[in-house]
Amino acid sequence: MIHRRSLLVAATLALGFAGNLARADALSNIQSSGTLRVAVPQDFPPFGSVGTDMTPQGYDIDVAKLIAGEMGVDLELVPVTSANRIPYLQTGKVDLVISSMGKNPERDAVIDFSMAYAPFYNGVFAPEDIAIEGPDDLAGKVVGVTRGSIEDLELSEIAPTEATLRRYEDNNGTIQAFLSGQVEAIATGNVVAAAILERNPPQRPEMKFLVKDSPCYIGLNENEPALMEALDAILAAAKTDGRLDAISQQWLGMPLPEGL
Amino acid sequence: MTQFTFVDILTNLLWASRWTVLLSLAAFAGGGLLALGLLFAAIGRARWPGRLARLYVEIFQGTPLLMQLFLAFFGLGLLGIDVSPWLAACAALILWSAAFLVEIWRGCVMAIGRGQWEASAALGMGYAAQMRHVVLPQALRLAVPPTVGFSVQVVKGTALTSIIGFLELTKAGTVLSNASFQPFTVFGLVALIYFALCFPLSVGARRLERKLNVAH
Repeated sequence: MIHRRSLLVAATLALGFAGNLARADALSNIQSSGTLRVAVPQDFPPFGSVGTDMTPQGYDIDVAKLIAGEMGVDLELVPVTSANRIPYLQTGKVDLVISSMGKNPERDAVIDFSMAYAPFYNGVFAPEDIAIEGPDDLAGKVVGVTRGSIEDLELSEIAPTEATLRRYEDNNGTIQAFLSGQVEAIATGNVVAAAILERNPPQRPEMKFLVKDSPCYIGLNENEPALMEALDAILAAAKTDGRLDAISQQWLGMPLPEGL
Repeated sequence: MTQFTFVDILTNLLWASRWTVLLSLAAFAGGGLLALGLLFAAIGRARWPGRLARLYVEIFQGTPLLMQLFLAFFGLGLLGIDVSPWLAACAALILWSAAFLVEIWRGCVMAIGRGQWEASAALGMGYAAQMRHVVLPQALRLAVPPTVGFSVQVVKGTALTSIIGFLELTKAGTVLSNASFQPFTVFGLVALIYFALCFPLSVGARRLERKLNVAH
């Protein structure tokens, strides 16, 4: 019996080890396969959404194209949601996550991050006639938030216990809950609120207070110094020669902030 | 911002529903075959195959399909085995639908009265002959309505495969409503397409039921 169990353990270890070996050096793997697999959002305009022919488009997609172009490899876009993007990376199904992902200690413990590539800050938004000035004013209010997002994790800590947090599977759920009046306020990103405003809805979200300034980073697996270095070099070059600024102008309608 | 016309939305949704249809067919065909095998283990006289079949049903009925999909796709990936989304989705849906189908069919066999078994035994039939000529034909008639009812569940269950990256009908609806900001049009159409897929199943079942002329 003991014998059989140790065999099982050995098999599991071997499998895990083979998995690690398979992605021993992600950069050379990408170069030898000739394809960069990138996890991108498809339900999060303007970072990632779809065109009329269902092809992905947005800030994240353009950054992915830029990086693949610089590496001289083909680009394979893998649509993900905020709930499954890290599993995709950890299981080696993608090489990079460019999915408007903010950095936090929990994520930092399991994956690595490149330098920031896009500005992003989270706040609580509500129509003009609702008085909210800080987290304490959320008591007794119903706030919508996207499950597993940075603003969800942050707000869960700072919101008073009397506040009701309604968590939705994706940003669309959060947006619809706000537009249909099921929640009084939403915690979301500046760009999401801007995208809502652009559609001229009857409920106009206004920024009430800042939850967190959390620029977006590219996620990659841990212990990949070569890939990390290549990414940072590409991003640094794109920041100086204005290509990243052009992407920001196109999708966010504003220049890349200084010091990003 | 991209502007979506009604035709854009409809064609994209119809195109995405091919996954819903393919996954449903695979789940139902594969699940049906597996369930048939399990059925003979479940109703047979041998003790261990019966227990194993029961354990299988308990495990797959007692855990959420969403979690089964997640484990099939990411769990095996963590062990270094690369599973394609299509394979993971098919495997999980087949295993899941088999667990329900075998219980449905076992119930139908159990519903055949003891007298039928005794009468056929009195005629000198063995187990195989009893099954073939007396029990299964009657059980089949009973099985039609619940089986079709469950197939409608399978069609709707395919929506969960979006967790592993399938752009099937429901997910396409979410993505489109996010890009077009027309949730009522998009989800209205999604509902109509699901209805168009499931309604013929129900109608077909009613016909088949009348044709087989269930005695009970």
